[in-house]
Amino acid sequence: MRVIKKEDFKEFVNLLIGDDTKEVVGVKAKGGKFVYDELSSADELRLDFDVTVLSPKKYFMPPVETLLRYDLSSDFKVEPVNEVTPLIIIGIHPYDLIALQQLETVFRDTYPDANHLLKLERSILIGTNMQNVSPHSFAASMGTATTRYGYDLMLTDIGDSYYIEIGSDRGEDLLERYARVSKPDKTHEQRFESVINGIESKFQKALNFPPEELPSILARTYDSKLWAEKAEKCLSCGSCNLVCPTCYCFDVQDVTELNLRRGERIRTWDGCLLEDFAKVATGENFREDRASRYRHRFMRKGKFLYERFGFIACVGCGRCASGCLPDIADPVEIYNTLKEEAL
Amino acid sequence: MTRENITIYTPRPATIKRIEQMTENEKLFEIALDDNMPLGHNPGQFVEVSIMGIGEAPISISSPPTKTDGFELCVRAVGNVTKAMHAMNVGDKLGIRGPFGNGFNTSMLKGRDLLFICGGLGFAPMRSLINYVLAYRRDYGEVAILYGCKRPCDLLFADEVRRWKSMDGILDHHLTVDEVCEGESWEHDIGVITTLIPKTKFDPETTYALVCGPPVMYRYVIKSLKERGMPDDHIIVSLERRMKCGLGKCGHCQINSTYVCQDGPVFVYSEIKDLQEAL
Amino acid sequence: MMRPSVKPRVAFFDFASCEGCQLQVINLEESVIDLIDIVDVVSFREAMKEHSDDYDIAFVEGSIMRPMDAERLKKIRERAKILVALGACACIGGINALRNRYSVEHVKKVVYGDADIEGNPFFDVFHTKAVGDVVDVDYYVYGCPISRDELAKVITSLALGKKPEIPNYPVCVECKKKENVCIFEKGGFCLGPVTRAGCGAICPTNGSGCEGCRGLVDNPNTDSELDVLKKYGLTVEDALGRFDLFCYKYKGEVSK
Repeated sequence: MRVIKKEDFKEFVNLLIGDDTKEVVGVKAKGGKFVYDELSSADELRLDFDVTVLSPKKYFMPPVETLLRYDLSSDFKVEPVNEVTPLIIIGIHPYDLIALQQLETVFRDTYPDANHLLKLERSILIGTNMQNVSPHSFAASMGTATTRYGYDLMLTDIGDSYYIEIGSDRGEDLLERYARVSKPDKTHEQRFESVINGIESKFQKALNFPPEELPSILARTYDSKLWAEKAEKCLSCGSCNLVCPTCYCFDVQDVTELNLRRGERIRTWDGCLLEDFAKVATGENFREDRASRYRHRFMRKGKFLYERFGFIACVGCGRCASGCLPDIADPVEIYNTLKEEAL
Repeated sequence: MTRENITIYTPRPATIKRIEQMTENEKLFEIALDDNMPLGHNPGQFVEVSIMGIGEAPISISSPPTKTDGFELCVRAVGNVTKAMHAMNVGDKLGIRGPFGNGFNTSMLKGRDLLFICGGLGFAPMRSLINYVLAYRRDYGEVAILYGCKRPCDLLFADEVRRWKSMDGILDHHLTVDEVCEGESWEHDIGVITTLIPKTKFDPETTYALVCGPPVMYRYVIKSLKERGMPDDHIIVSLERRMKCGLGKCGHCQINSTYVCQDGPVFVYSEIKDLQEAL
Repeated sequence: MMRPSVKPRVAFFDFASCEGCQLQVINLEESVIDLIDIVDVVSFREAMKEHSDDYDIAFVEGSIMRPMDAERLKKIRERAKILVALGACACIGGINALRNRYSVEHVKKVVYGDADIEGNPFFDVFHTKAVGDVVDVDYYVYGCPISRDELAKVITSLALGKKPEIPNYPVCVECKKKENVCIFEKGGFCLGPVTRAGCGAICPTNGSGCEGCRGLVDNPNTDSELDVLKKYGLTVEDALGRFDLFCYKYKGEVSK
């Protein structure tokens, strides 16, 4: 554990920015919201954010990513692409750190996906405990309001200083090289404890049951009328998928330059709520109606991926709920209603 | 290109060795990997075929693993990739990833009687297994084959299929079509494939049914098999879904917690009968 | 796949339109060189003098307003192996379909007053039609104006013999990928949730709501979109009015 005075923290961030070995990104304000973006000065960093529009997933699974480059001027010329920009990301809330861990599990499973994993390996993640909480967030219910793993460094605002938990040698090394830190004294420890203990009370939304019950609740509510009722308002716009820090589905396309010589095979975010997600070339659509797509997402988060990977694939960030224009995507509302039905 | 640079999305170069027009819409492609390695597949597995600039599509392998100097894909021209394949010539290059999926469990089936039920293009993966079983004929029990398609002219591998009829060790063999148009000759059955099941010789206690066809076929075939008294764990199906990666990442083929590309495409019916959306 | 050696012959045609979509072709700038390297442009009134009726691919801009337009379009269809509708006017009727709110007689009266136009085929207008209302269309390049990137994608696809991948998902997808703050959250109104993407969410990215110039997705949930517009403060009439500018074609469905 370390502590760093706030003015020293600014200097630390500015030193990191000044060092060209890694690009430094952090949370910045944008149009009344917060986003992760490249930092040009520590003054831009907003560690008091509630939630960002997109999670830091966008750096490890970019919205559009080149997988291959090909050349059509010869028979078969293909070159794998794995573009990696080593990053230092400053200001990741615990739920997003846990989401990144889940994505890592998925991309490491059976056939390791180097395009994802290398980006993660080459980056340094600096977490921050939540000072403000989005009105849609229910991370405390999901056990993701705080975390003991998944970061290189974890910051907690304790007034005039940040309390720093060290999660890896890389994190420790970063402090040694760039930061003026000291060991926490008793007062620091007490303030840290009290901040951590106060986080849960900041949440306005909560599940009425422990998340471990979700798989069995969902097993009993597959045929619930709720799916069709809610899905009637679903725009099939995929917003809930696209802002989700644990969604990882993608589409693959070949994009050829107008000269028909070179091109790229890209992957781009897809969403199971979109109409053609499960449609095959012959025209058969295996989830044709809105209700089955709508149900699939909630089932996938609370049951299907749990059965496959052992985690509930919802970290309670609330982005889907705030991004859904017809207000039908809030997991708290849906899961609490289903809990009642499943009784 | 060094080995370390090859990602799971990098196709291996391969060359088309032979093309045979099978029906109006289906062609058979014999393909060999340029490194001359055998594909090393199980019957029922699939490959991702890449045509750079066009895209990638999952296609099941039609030849048995006993053929090692290349492999065969029976391809219907329906999407971008398959249409582009149809426009290709012998000697043209394409990319291959895989084989992917589980394939049929050929060791579990050893010593069992086998009933093959194929509809339309579902015959393509089944042909791999049938030929494998015929190659190791003594390892398996009785063999019966049912194959249905829309019209006589849609029959895939027609000569091979007819040859099986007169082969020793084929217990029963029926072909059917939905309709016969004027001017077409057809000496076999007419009607949907389920009409063949009651009159086929097989012992439901000892026989394993292997089913592959269009999505609409499964429910009816399974119903007929159960009416003959076949237990659920004797029915083995191969399912189709949209796939992009073949590696359990892209999410398109997911049926509940099952990824068809990894856990399938072959499933024992007893294991998926309660899996909603599967059939 | 090898780069094809045979170049398709391409022709551009225009009907009632501002010709801005063809201008987007010229706006490809340096890429025009690539374009003429992969296709033979045999007819393009806006850019060249020569004309030929021997073409493989016809790009048609504009909406169809008169029987004489329909006849000309049918001839183009007969000659072309592939017909591509170019831009909102051709794809969905576009701005020209605004006048379908009124009777043809009323429109003629307002525009031409008492002028003697009876029997003159140039003034023999009917209700505005999209190209697809008159002939079969193989592919659509949506938008007002079309996106150059998408046009390039369609042309490369056709030159490679591939069906162009035109999105059937709404603009929200592209907004989210760009991390735009939602127009509704900024106090605006947007047809993005039901409008076909492919424009790169250009309007929301630049701060204004989507007007629906690319038409709606295959199965738009317009009831829900109307509810959203109302929830954020529009009256039913104003909410419906959002569909007038480009999506009048769909309005019958919307207001049901």
